[in-house]
Amino acid sequence: MSTLSSGARAGLYIHVPFCVAKCPYCDFSSYSGIEALYAPYVEALLQHIASAGPEWPGPGFDTLYVGGGTPTVLSADRLADVLSACKSGLGLPHDAEITCEANPGMVTGASLAILAESGFNRLSLGAQSLDSGVLRTLGRIHDPEAVYGAFRAAREAGFANIGLDLMYGIPWQTLEVWRDTLHRAVSLDPEHLSLYALTLEEGTPMAESVWSGVLPEPDEDHVADMYALAQAVLADAGYVQYEVSNWARRCAGDTPGAPPRLASRHNLHYWHNDRYLGIGSAAHSFDGRSRFARCTDPKEYVRRVHNGESTREFCEQIDESLEMDETLMLGLRLMSGVTWARFQERFSIDLRSVYPQALAGLSAAGMIEVDAEGVRMAPGAYLIGNRVFAEFLR
Amino acid sequence: MSNNLEFVRNFCIIAHIDHGKSTLSDRLLEDTGTIASRDMAEQVLDRMELEREKGITIKAKAVRMLYSPAEGGRTYTLNLIDTPGHVDFGYEVSHALSACEGALLVVDATQGIEAQTLANLYLAMEHDLDIIPVLNKLDLPSADPEGVSAEIEELLGVSPGDILRVSAKDGTGVDALLTAIVEQIRPPVGDSDEPLRALVFDSHYDSYKGVVAYVRVVDGSIAGEAPLQIMSTGRKVEPLELGIFGPDLRPVESLSAGDVGYVATGLKNVRDCRVGDTLTGWQRAATEPLAGFDPPKPMVYAGLYPVENDDYEDLRDALEKLQLNDASLVYEPESSVALNLGFRCGFLGLLHMEIVQERLEREYELDLLATAPSVEYEVELTSGDTISVDNPAELPDMSYISEIREPWMQISLFAPKDYIGPLMELATSHRGGFDKMEFLDASRVVLYFDIPLSEILVNFHDQLKSCSRGYASMDYRFTGYRAGDLVKMTILVNEEPVDALSVIVHRESAYAKGSLLVRRLKDVIPPHLFPVPIQAAVGGKVLARATVKVVRKDVLAKCYGGDVTRKRKLLEKQKEGRRRLKKVGKVELPQEAFMTVLRLND
Ligand SMILES: Nc1nc2c(ncn2[C@@H]2O[C@H](COP(=O)(O)OP(=O)(O)O)[C@@H](O)[C@H]2O)c(=O)[nH]1
Ligand code: SF4
Ligand SMILES: [Mg+2]
Repeated sequence: MSTLSSGARAGLYIHVPFCVAKCPYCDFSSYSGIEALYAPYVEALLQHIASAGPEWPGPGFDTLYVGGGTPTVLSADRLADVLSACKSGLGLPHDAEITCEANPGMVTGASLAILAESGFNRLSLGAQSLDSGVLRTLGRIHDPEAVYGAFRAAREAGFANIGLDLMYGIPWQTLEVWRDTLHRAVSLDPEHLSLYALTLEEGTPMAESVWSGVLPEPDEDHVADMYALAQAVLADAGYVQYEVSNWARRCAGDTPGAPPRLASRHNLHYWHNDRYLGIGSAAHSFDGRSRFARCTDPKEYVRRVHNGESTREFCEQIDESLEMDETLMLGLRLMSGVTWARFQERFSIDLRSVYPQALAGLSAAGMIEVDAEGVRMAPGAYLIGNRVFAEFLR
Repeated sequence: MSNNLEFVRNFCIIAHIDHGKSTLSDRLLEDTGTIASRDMAEQVLDRMELEREKGITIKAKAVRMLYSPAEGGRTYTLNLIDTPGHVDFGYEVSHALSACEGALLVVDATQGIEAQTLANLYLAMEHDLDIIPVLNKLDLPSADPEGVSAEIEELLGVSPGDILRVSAKDGTGVDALLTAIVEQIRPPVGDSDEPLRALVFDSHYDSYKGVVAYVRVVDGSIAGEAPLQIMSTGRKVEPLELGIFGPDLRPVESLSAGDVGYVATGLKNVRDCRVGDTLTGWQRAATEPLAGFDPPKPMVYAGLYPVENDDYEDLRDALEKLQLNDASLVYEPESSVALNLGFRCGFLGLLHMEIVQERLEREYELDLLATAPSVEYEVELTSGDTISVDNPAELPDMSYISEIREPWMQISLFAPKDYIGPLMELATSHRGGFDKMEFLDASRVVLYFDIPLSEILVNFHDQLKSCSRGYASMDYRFTGYRAGDLVKMTILVNEEPVDALSVIVHRESAYAKGSLLVRRLKDVIPPHLFPVPIQAAVGGKVLARATVKVVRKDVLAKCYGGDVTRKRKLLEKQKEGRRRLKKVGKVELPQEAFMTVLRLND
């Protein structure tokens, strides 16, 4: 068995599977129109959190991420209750990174103040775009004004760490519109930016519209141009790209060759292949030995928690060789890559002796950089990362 | 089985494809009580899964029926030999005819005489068979019995009263047909006391019984397990079982002159007992064999390669087994720089090729890649030698060649006269030369053209159907080799020639085909991490080029949170997809790349 580095802590994730309306491109586990389930669901979360401690073999948590869905469909008080349950039931420390996902237009100064006061210290705002046309194409219920309003209100409520999510590669979205959104976004001066390319998922209305020709299919070259544009605009504006889709504002204490201080520490747990515990329907966990998911149906989740039954639905044992592969698949998404030392410490073996062919082939192709510290993707390969990651899957 | 030959009839049904041969066979089986109606699976004789699916008969098969006419009280043994209707399998028809004295010429009353009606009729006449013309599908409102009868009268010189009218679907007229079979087809002649002579007209392979030879006993008799010999090789055969077709194999004690049945030879190699061989007695041998058949000559060649190199041995085994049941399939090992190890296979035609490929994939669970089909060229070298080339990649450099000859065919196109224009255009655009036109009746014609085989190999049949709204049908026969201004077109992918993509084309169409080919390849080759140039060249001169674009985005740029398993599965799936590509140098080619050459004539 591998040893996760002794200093490594774990992440805690709580899933809120509700949205006001389902976005046409979304295949996340979220449902609209089941308001009646909000209260029992929160009850179940609280009960599950209170009892989860003993079955968690992993180290203590240093991040909490409340995501969805749209957590902010729940009242700020309920979210505050969930957070305090995590502190009391799972020993989440006060100085942990505590993030709540929020949708613009659904938060008010008052609700944000409650969140901040209860201990949430990071807000991830699902802006998606700052162009009203693009937001309409995406079927989002908010407009750009709502994003500015929510952002200002969050600052006023005391959030010093705010991330914005933006999407590109959307039908009809031009480079100009994208550039404009990027400029508007950086002018808000968020600490963090996540840029996601629209992914057409089978079964979603958006994919059907594109495949049936109602919406134009975003062209791969165009999407690549948007990515390159974002890299340039954000670098100019003082943001450091630390993962394929993530940027953080540069700040004084940053160490070269390591993720910036304002990086999402919770997401870093995923990319470092650390352990994490997911609570709530459809939430995923990794306890160091296996990955497992909770049942996806929120109602069923509530029922099982209520009856004291297990909520696990899917479980995959991760043997050491698979764990190594996943460590690279995930770690190479980070610009800092995977260091020889970290790999050696975790698996007691030299990475170079495990993947000699992948390393040789990819560096010959100019897709990775290998030096005294470790291995990382070559900047030109970020957008074709799958070709790199796949080489490490044995 | 010993019987009075007077009460035996051996016959076959010949028809253009889809005119109702299989359906009529089913009705005959049912009416004679050979198969009870409740056990009747549609098209009993089309046993192979593929045959049922494609609705065609690939191999000839036989069945024995017992029939007692209402008056008379005698029971007749009727042996029906089923024949394939497609041109590709004309040789099978010929074998079947050799076992018969009569033939039912079935013509669809809604269609009239078509290409294979005539081709098969001529074969039947060559075999001197008694022919009973039958109009089928009388139940359909669109049937035109008068018009089609007129065509048949013209063709056979019979009177309209001699043409039977049936509906194979609802059984109308089938009784009268049975009576006609007994009355109009002559009984077989043969002397049971002479030394044995039995013609092998078909065979199949059975893993327990070895080669099962389908025979028509002409003279003498086969009894029990008395040893036999194959006249062409002198090889001894100890029969494991004798039988008749019921239509399942049904063992009997003996077979005698005039009978149709089978002999399980126990031989493990079809080459030891070929279709066309004569079986005789081991103790009491005949002096002269029966007239056999020329082995069918392949018309089309293509390379078959396993998608996974590891499957090469399995492919070899599968081909060997398939050949046991399909003697017309020929193959030999071949290697390709691009595709590694595979087999060069010769086929009777494109349908045959398609069927072989499908059977290999389905029955032997192989993933195959077929190169573009080619004809066999005669190449005269400057040294004076002549070589034959059925793989364009193997054509020597033009500087060593003094002449290339290609196979030419005479094709006959049957269609309503309204389509003369489009058919003329179709044939001439494929280098066809118009020969003559004949009227079948006032509204239907036959057009004859001389045309290179390579031009009608691929797509021609589809084009024929589409330019005649499905009304035209075609037959072809080989006429000989002719010299042509032919050149080898080499395809370079990323500057390297890909042998499996080479084609031999007529010089005049080289430019057009080269441009088309590179454009098609550009569309089917997935983007790579580097630009991939594709060129079509003749004699070192590049005629056309295109470039496959560079892959720019291939990454999961979406938030999957903790669902690492899904992320990994996506990558594994992608990787698996790429593993199925053929690596040529640094370039990964999908199967479709090798098929693009196929569609060059579109
Ligand atoms: N209406 C009608 N359809 C028929 C008749 N005989 C055959 N068919 C149909 O014609 C098609 C071709 O028949 P099939 O026996 O397979 O033709 P084969 O290719 O000559 O063996 C099938 O769909 C049959 O159901 C008939 O007498 N009447
Ligand atoms: S708000 Fe987010 S989770 Fe909810 S439907 Fe839209 S994209 Fe999906
Ligand atoms: Mg048939």
